[in-house]
Amino acid sequence: MNYNLALSDEILLDLEKPERYIGNEVNSVTKDKNAVDIRFAMCFPDVYEIGMSHLGIQILYGMFNSYDDVWCERVYSPWVDADKTFREKDIPLFALESQDPIKGFDFLGFTIQYEMCYTNILQILDLSKIPLLSKDRTWDDPIVIGGGPCTYNAEPIADFFDIFYIGEGETKYRELFDLYKKCKKENMSRIDFLHECAKISGIYVPAFYDVQYKEDGTIASMKPIYDDIPSVIKKEMCLALSETFYPTKPVVPYIKITQDRVVLEIMRGCIRGCRFCQAGQLYKPLREKDVNHLKELALEALKNTGYEEISLSSLSSSDYSKLPELIDFLIKNCSEKKVNISLPSLRIDAFSLDVMSKVQDVKKSSLTFAPEAGTQRMRNVINKGLTEEDILRGSHEAFLGGWNKVKLYFMLGLPTETDEDIYGIGDIANKVAVEYFETVPKEKRNGRTIDIVASTSFFVPKPFTPFQWARMNTKEEFLDKANKTRKGIMSQLNQKHIKYNWHEADASMMEGVLARGDRKLCKVILKAYEKGCIFDAWGEYFKFDTWMETFEECGVDPFFYTTRERKDDEIFPWDILNCGVTKEFLLREWKNALAGNKSFNCRQSCLGCGAASYGVGVCKEGRTNA
Amino acid sequence: MHKLRLKFSKTGPIKFVGHLDIMRYFQKAIRRAEVDIKYSEGFSPHQLLSFAQPLSVGATSDGEYLDMTVNSMVSTTDVMNRLNSVMNEGITILAVEELDEHSAKAMTDTYAAKYVLSFRPNSKPDFDWIAEMEKYLSGDKLPAMKKTKSGMKEIDMKPMIFAHEFDEKEQTGTFLLSMSSLETLKPTLLFGAFFESIGKEFSTSSLNIHRVDIYKLVDNGDRRYIEPFITNDMNERFYLNG
Repeated sequence: MNYNLALSDEILLDLEKPERYIGNEVNSVTKDKNAVDIRFAMCFPDVYEIGMSHLGIQILYGMFNSYDDVWCERVYSPWVDADKTFREKDIPLFALESQDPIKGFDFLGFTIQYEMCYTNILQILDLSKIPLLSKDRTWDDPIVIGGGPCTYNAEPIADFFDIFYIGEGETKYRELFDLYKKCKKENMSRIDFLHECAKISGIYVPAFYDVQYKEDGTIASMKPIYDDIPSVIKKEMCLALSETFYPTKPVVPYIKITQDRVVLEIMRGCIRGCRFCQAGQLYKPLREKDVNHLKELALEALKNTGYEEISLSSLSSSDYSKLPELIDFLIKNCSEKKVNISLPSLRIDAFSLDVMSKVQDVKKSSLTFAPEAGTQRMRNVINKGLTEEDILRGSHEAFLGGWNKVKLYFMLGLPTETDEDIYGIGDIANKVAVEYFETVPKEKRNGRTIDIVASTSFFVPKPFTPFQWARMNTKEEFLDKANKTRKGIMSQLNQKHIKYNWHEADASMMEGVLARGDRKLCKVILKAYEKGCIFDAWGEYFKFDTWMETFEECGVDPFFYTTRERKDDEIFPWDILNCGVTKEFLLREWKNALAGNKSFNCRQSCLGCGAASYGVGVCKEGRTNA
Repeated sequence: MHKLRLKFSKTGPIKFVGHLDIMRYFQKAIRRAEVDIKYSEGFSPHQLLSFAQPLSVGATSDGEYLDMTVNSMVSTTDVMNRLNSVMNEGITILAVEELDEHSAKAMTDTYAAKYVLSFRPNSKPDFDWIAEMEKYLSGDKLPAMKKTKSGMKEIDMKPMIFAHEFDEKEQTGTFLLSMSSLETLKPTLLFGAFFESIGKEFSTSSLNIHRVDIYKLVDNGDRRYIEPFITNDMNERFYLNG
């Protein structure tokens, strides 16, 4: 236990949740700082409860701390109350374990999970007294490194980072640490060290790539400034997941966090090629973990944490081939220990309903369907396999099993969307209600009735998806569509059983700008931060007007990134990376989308996306049918 | 089935962990220790576990209590050792005692608490607070405004202070204060009223609170006394009404 806290008792007692800043949680790792060569501060740039829920950090934290020469600690965004105190009292930001200032660390790593955290990255650097721009840093500052999904287009934050690590973290950090030790020993300059880093596979040093623009603002070229670094950076990927480090002693927080349970990752990647989904492309190919390995991990992690719940994690758990065996094992072992099992991302069918009835309270839980679009035509465009028949059949069986709450998720603003697609959302919701009344006769309802919640989010096109060429809707178009959806639902016979929720359009627009942005946005983000933008992912702190004002002051047109039509051959800011799937494949899928053609999933037929070059996972399985 | 009473300490950074989170902390620790705790019946079973009294955030203690029911155990010592092997350093199980099957919960029996109170290093008063407080405590009545469910109410703190003693050298005061379902005197209320009586401003975060122990009432007909829930020391007994 570290008794020397960075904050005095008085300061801690004045903060909303002092537990966010005291470290010392169960399974947190303390080492002798004089006995390690590398001190790594791992940051999730959001509040503690969100950051602590992230699996990726737990994996890297455990893996780094398994190295004798490395001590990895954690840091999260100080919440607004602490942010104010730290600035007023000039308290440098510190890591939770040692409570030492971040500034003295060798590395400061960020996992960048969503675009709306970009200003929080600047907050962390600022409070740590680290220069915000990479070019202003010296050996007195840590090496600032970023990883996670947003680094697949990190151009809008390129100026703030020394290094981006592209791909799965398990593969190259050891090599990077060894290089760092060597360079430090040889008294190499910081820039020479970064130059050496840029030669490691998967490592992208943005400062070493020169971007030229055309007159219309699109990119003319992106070229390395040295001959000996790659012109395209290829994503790193774990080739043997079952043999790779997985944390069985994750840090257990004192306070309740968003994901307050053991998380068991059962596979990576997805076979389903939904055309809007970025994760589906980035983590290709699908790689399953060995089921016996998973059983061991589950028991160990439960024993080491004392958690009362375990959750299976993947993009589409129903596609895990040994799912019944794994769930049987967990039900058998967990019920003795009174441990709950949570199964997100399950396809609703006879099997999953049977499982859910064993692990959940049917009366309290709800069924979740994500048709994403209101008509079959639109679902073909986005290549979402779920049909209306699937939904109604799944609902029917669930209603027989006693369920009466249904959640339906949709997106608005998808490419080629028409009013018919929008009104289709109300139709589906109504049909689910009708299914309930037909399935459950009045005398069997026991005073209960059907309860449907339909939610829509606004579609944001993402890099490395077939929809990277798509025009994004304006705020006005979005709100108009939400309004039509609401009217569509209101006009249904069973409308009083359907509740409708929709998202903020302002935040979606900002996300759209940042998602497909380029380096010209760095100055906008910096200025927005200086003007007080922070915690943009939190509705109550998101300052849309300040952002718009900043775009204007910087002479940057936000609509260039959102509503502009992109040509097939446009060079995108993220073309500097190779995410495993080829641009030709994505373009082919974009054309298929526009033509309303569905594509096969990876187990049905290989689409030749390019991920087979890794030679693992589903690409090597035999096809079930062609 | 065994009913157990555990005594534990809470020191160091863990003092900032609030009462509800400490309960959650224990639930997980019990699972890690593989103590055969009894669960309630029903669809969402919970551990049969109850705490004597919450300790305020920022306070330390050498005498916290919780009661639990186990299905089976090797011995009370084994339960203690198992738990201590999975505990964070800031929390240590000091003793485990088996209770009679019909004994009341610790919460019901609580009568008083002993505190050592001082000021945090950065918040020392700019006057001789011990001298002033001695004077203040010698008053016949010690009125204070206490927040209750039905609004603010004036109370007299005098009968709720069983004993007090100051240590000039350490700049601390030891207080035995009422803490029961009928009446509870919190150190911050006492010090707030004291500061107000001499026209000084009091900040609750300035007070360093250490709970030494929690006391139960023993009524032997002719002699009523209070003593710590778990103790072997007769000197810890404090006799009420002579």
